[in-house]
Amino acid sequence: MRPLFLTLAAVLVTAATTSAAPPPRVFPYPYEKHTLPNGLTAIFVPMQSPGVVAYYSVVRTGSRDEVEEGKSGFAHFFEHMMFRGTPKYPQAAYEGIVTKIGANTNAYTTDDHTAYHLKIAAEDLPKVIEIEADRFQNLAFSKIVFQTEAGAVYGEYRKSISSPFALLNERLQDLAYDAHTYKHTTIGFERDIMVMAGQFDYSLSFFKRFYRPENVVLVVAGDVEPKTTLAHIEHHYGSWARGYVAPAITPEPPQQAERTAEVTYPGKTLPILTVAYKGDAFDPANRDYVAALLLGELAFGETSELRKRLLLREQRVQMLAASIPQNRDQPLFSIYAMIKKPEDIAAIRDEIYKTIEQFKETPVDATRLRDLKRRNKYSFLMGLDTPDAVAAGLARFISLTGDIAVIDRLYAAADAVTAEDLMRAAKKYFVPERRNVIVLKGGQS
Amino acid sequence: MSRRALLLAILVALPLFAAVPRDAAAPILLPVAKDQTVSFRLWFKVGSQNDPAGKEGLAALTAAMLTEAATQKRRYDEILDQLFPLASTYGASSSVEMTVISGRTHVDNLADFYPLLRDALLTPAFNQADLDRLRSRTLNFIENQLRFASDEELGKAVLANEIFAGTRYGHLGAGTVTALKSITVDEVKAFYTAHYTRDNVVIGLGGGYSPALLDQLRADLAKLPAGAPAPVPAPSPPALSGLSVTLVEKPTASTAISIGFPLGVVRGAREWYALAIANSWLGEHRNSSGRLYQVIREQRGLNYGDYTYIEAYPNGGARMTPPQNVARRSQLFELWIRPVPHEARHFALRAALREVDHLVKHGMTAEQFEERRQFLKKYVLHYAATTGERLGYAIDDAFYGLSEPHLVQFRRLMDELTLAEVNAALKKHWQLGNLKIVAVTQGAAAFADALVADAASPITYASPKPAAVVAADQEISTFPLRIRRAAVKIVPVAELFAQ
Repeated sequence: MRPLFLTLAAVLVTAATTSAAPPPRVFPYPYEKHTLPNGLTAIFVPMQSPGVVAYYSVVRTGSRDEVEEGKSGFAHFFEHMMFRGTPKYPQAAYEGIVTKIGANTNAYTTDDHTAYHLKIAAEDLPKVIEIEADRFQNLAFSKIVFQTEAGAVYGEYRKSISSPFALLNERLQDLAYDAHTYKHTTIGFERDIMVMAGQFDYSLSFFKRFYRPENVVLVVAGDVEPKTTLAHIEHHYGSWARGYVAPAITPEPPQQAERTAEVTYPGKTLPILTVAYKGDAFDPANRDYVAALLLGELAFGETSELRKRLLLREQRVQMLAASIPQNRDQPLFSIYAMIKKPEDIAAIRDEIYKTIEQFKETPVDATRLRDLKRRNKYSFLMGLDTPDAVAAGLARFISLTGDIAVIDRLYAAADAVTAEDLMRAAKKYFVPERRNVIVLKGGQS
Repeated sequence: MSRRALLLAILVALPLFAAVPRDAAAPILLPVAKDQTVSFRLWFKVGSQNDPAGKEGLAALTAAMLTEAATQKRRYDEILDQLFPLASTYGASSSVEMTVISGRTHVDNLADFYPLLRDALLTPAFNQADLDRLRSRTLNFIENQLRFASDEELGKAVLANEIFAGTRYGHLGAGTVTALKSITVDEVKAFYTAHYTRDNVVIGLGGGYSPALLDQLRADLAKLPAGAPAPVPAPSPPALSGLSVTLVEKPTASTAISIGFPLGVVRGAREWYALAIANSWLGEHRNSSGRLYQVIREQRGLNYGDYTYIEAYPNGGARMTPPQNVARRSQLFELWIRPVPHEARHFALRAALREVDHLVKHGMTAEQFEERRQFLKKYVLHYAATTGERLGYAIDDAFYGLSEPHLVQFRRLMDELTLAEVNAALKKHWQLGNLKIVAVTQGAAAFADALVADAASPITYASPKPAAVVAADQEISTFPLRIRRAAVKIVPVAELFAQ
């Protein structure tokens, strides 16, 4: 599970990987993609690695799919249940195998997807394919085990919520959305987590609906030989029956007016101002969206004029950053500022608005735009240095589109962004009727 | 060639671990021919142990004044502008005994990146405005983030301070509030001049660099002043007497617990690897196979995880594998119980200590030993995935004076160590009689009373548990801790790290 604010850093990195780069290919490794008759897709990325393989199972289900009332956080909870064994390999047997092979294994859940990942020695790949195929098809756990795990998930919530950013994001999503499931964070509302132990029957239906081959993509990166690996995958996953049922996710109606809220953090913190605009879903063909990905960095990133002034020269903020996420549905384009003096909150907010207005009216400096495109290209290349980094980096694109071919399209689109595109995107997204403003203050400050 | 033999051949063929140079000041090199990036790690033998009394935090602040501030040639915002298109940064990591200035760039951008890194090291500006900014950030970290935003990291920081109280290790690396406020630009300059010398630095260079770059780096670092600071004696942590408890009182939804004691063995010693096997079985970091994790989380659902360590492991909540370049001459055993509901705090503490007690008294079984050594032999392959991480390990090897790289030795000893050696090391180095316990909690006075009374701490669950768990709960809930009233202190959170 990636708690949401931690994802701000991750999102910024992800956003930084979305632009620039010439055709024909941005993704630097050759890869193979195969789809089995049952719809399961496997992507192989052979790359130099010292006998190590990363094995990712990406399920295109996340907290976005929690459409039923009272079930927020369930995708994440279910991720925990996936380690509870099968008739053939009960929990202890599964753990015995991954321990014996020294696998580094874990899983995480996001708003749009859930990923199960193992870093292993290449020689253990056939065994890992067997046990992963088994648990994705034959998971079986008792009610007692299910109920006990609910306590551990509540413990995860409690350890995370001591961060002011966790509290802030929880309230921000609740404020900004009315109908769409992005109203709750990935870990879910506390009120729903507290009663998860009673949802055993629901968990069985969750598995049947979402853990199906058409909804899963395998990524195998590193010291992998595609032909034999595909044969192993066909053997172990081939009989997995189709049956994915797409959830009926209610679209968010257009926001009509600005929303504001204040949050009190029980501990001590500098005030945090968040200005969040309803954006657009991920779509490389949407020039406005692609321009917005660049705009966040240009207007509020590390070398933006506003950050230089407020953080370096005037030292009025402790932190200033923007997050332009890549999501299957409409996310929030957010600007975060941690402000040193509470009496300065309104002035900093106005500085953010003023900056946005400037970006609507004034073309961005050509050198800045060129530098950003160059930065994004190198950031992407330098980030792909281990099998795990490659597979993890691809997981988000797979969750968005089911494929990784989109990477090249996205980079080509970002490379084509012009100063005019940026002004148009600023005018489209960063307007008061799309805006949600939250101020978090410490109760003990 | 068998698959296993092939794996080993690959490991040997790739420069996975740099050879340790004989000369302690010689560069640590890790060339990787096809690597399109260059990784720098410049190790200065200075850390928070070098902070003068009353100036705690000076080492970390000085390091930040090099890598996150202006140089004599460029303002800091100009440096950021130049780094921006390169997608490259340099930064400092300062721990108790080491400060490492690291950076990574694509070979295409090396010519633009290197002068920026060089100037940061050789010609820092030491402006008052930069000091004010970085000091303010550190104060925010201590006064707000550490005290309030993560009870787990808070508990671990208090534990480390308490175990090494009265020694050069006995303060937070970030400093204290009072000391930070007193640090001047002149003190930063003087600290830099004394510690950032050409005789106090070891070059670490990896990836696709050229011999010319190494020559350039050597020539540039030779411009640093000569001389090395006087060595700081290794700390002698005060002996613990019985179980002593520090309860940090603060408003919080759950209780975070850390337990530890000084450990007189460091990596490189055969016994260290024996302890690593037992430690992995009891509480491998962020791994569900550890015994504590099974007992507290898996069987009872009391929290998110429970782990143990035989080396300092800073920032454990944010990482999956061990950090590099936090090497030190004096180590600690640490047990981390992630936040539990307040009503389960006494029970969880007992459950953890009962497991340690059982392990020390009875040792590992042959089956447990066999499983663990097999696990670790492969698991450590994941500790150093990138060139930068391998370079970090090689620097640590140099710190500990290892003739055989740590991770190579680790894997070799998994085949050589015996169960008898593991259990003997456990009996020699681990114990339950003298411990430091830190709990970040709400209602500390009531917890103190319960601890001193050794009151029974029965546990109830929202859902049924198997009979074996219920039976064990009876024993756990009355497991004697024998804590004296005088050994318990309650500290309000606002007083922590003040001075």
